[in-house]
Amino acid sequence: MRSLLALLLLFPLLALAVEPATMARTTELKRYPASDAETIASLQENSKVDAIERRGGWTRVRSASGEGWVRMLSLRFSGAGAAKQGDSGVSSLFNVARTGSSGTTVTTGVRGLDPEMLAKAQPNPAELAKMQQYVVTPQAAAGFAARGKLTAQPVEEVK
Amino acid sequence: MSRLLALVVFLFFAGAAQAQFRLPNLDLNRALDSAKNLGKATREINQDEEIAIGRDLAATLVGAAPLVADAKVQRYVNNVGRWIASQSERPDLPWQFGVLDAPQLNAFAVPGGTIFITRGLLERMQSESELAGVLGHEIGHVVKKHHLKAIQKGAMTALAGDALQMAVQNKNSAANEKLVSFGKEMYSRGLDKGDEFEADRLGVVLAARAGYDAYGLPAVLQTLQAMNAQDSGLALMFKTHPAPADRLDQLSEKMQPTLDAYASQPQLAERFRAEFKPAK
Repeated sequence: MRSLLALLLLFPLLALAVEPATMARTTELKRYPASDAETIASLQENSKVDAIERRGGWTRVRSASGEGWVRMLSLRFSGAGAAKQGDSGVSSLFNVARTGSSGTTVTTGVRGLDPEMLAKAQPNPAELAKMQQYVVTPQAAAGFAARGKLTAQPVEEVK
Repeated sequence: MSRLLALVVFLFFAGAAQAQFRLPNLDLNRALDSAKNLGKATREINQDEEIAIGRDLAATLVGAAPLVADAKVQRYVNNVGRWIASQSERPDLPWQFGVLDAPQLNAFAVPGGTIFITRGLLERMQSESELAGVLGHEIGHVVKKHHLKAIQKGAMTALAGDALQMAVQNKNSAANEKLVSFGKEMYSRGLDKGDEFEADRLGVVLAARAGYDAYGLPAVLQTLQAMNAQDSGLALMFKTHPAPADRLDQLSEKMQPTLDAYASQPQLAERFRAEFKPAK
């Protein structure tokens, strides 16, 4: 039990807003986020669950068979009933596009990255030149990584 | 000589135009064949040319949406991106990263090492590992030269080198104008699906190499999947990329061992929240 707790602590945890999802395939519902943990139930393909949080490659879900953990990639968030209604609000922002450089709010200049807007875009070398001031050196980035306790790993490319 | 170059440029772009827009009434293929017979050799675009081409395309993208006027977040994204790029097969490119002030959700890779992510996509993320996965995907496009190859292919290989060189050297040339419009076409039409799947695999690998939880990219794809597919903020992204479900299936099929081997590396959700405050 103690080693199991230690294992759980190893995995970073991310709370999700509870998201409705469906099972992309028939999947074992586990007591803990580990493949050798006790299996609570078998969740059938297309059955509905609520996703609560993510830990490594596991997601905690609430299902008709109780609460437990499933493989993150066994979940699908676009099944019938899973897709949320509404919009990210982008369209309503169109009339009040903020211009990045001045920070002022304009009501006429519609800008952004929709297909139509991209088609109309003109090169802006002056804006591009501003990127220079934010560039960091490889050494500075390595220091930033170390402060986040990130360690470079040799990982093979998968073809 | 300049007349020959002019001919070459004309034929090259006429060819590109035919491929793109199917202009009728011109037998361009025959013209191109005779131009090839002049003995122009096919050659690779070198790194300096790649960077110069990228500059024009990047200027066009910031012409569509400017940079977010927030030095802290720009610097943060550069730190994450530069660290990941250092783990790639092309660590010595002049990598630079920018957050575009657009509500739409998207990210762009430009030949030569310029990467953009939109404010809209950043606002949907929950951790630095998710940002790492997305930047890794874009860095993957540059490492594999996906856009550069699309330009070369669209520009009919044999003549691309010289014509592109001219486009890059002379900003006011017709050739340069054509390069920019070809770029816009490319970024609004998207790459081959295979290139996107390859960039996804590389994104996972690069994030893992950089020491992040390898599930960052799949997590972002699930976030996109959970959004309404009709959401106007996703229009360009969904037009230019395979559906999130297909991308997740591909990753699940090919990347499960890599994902699981590096699932317990840091996600750095707190640092992400400290560095990036969504404009609300």
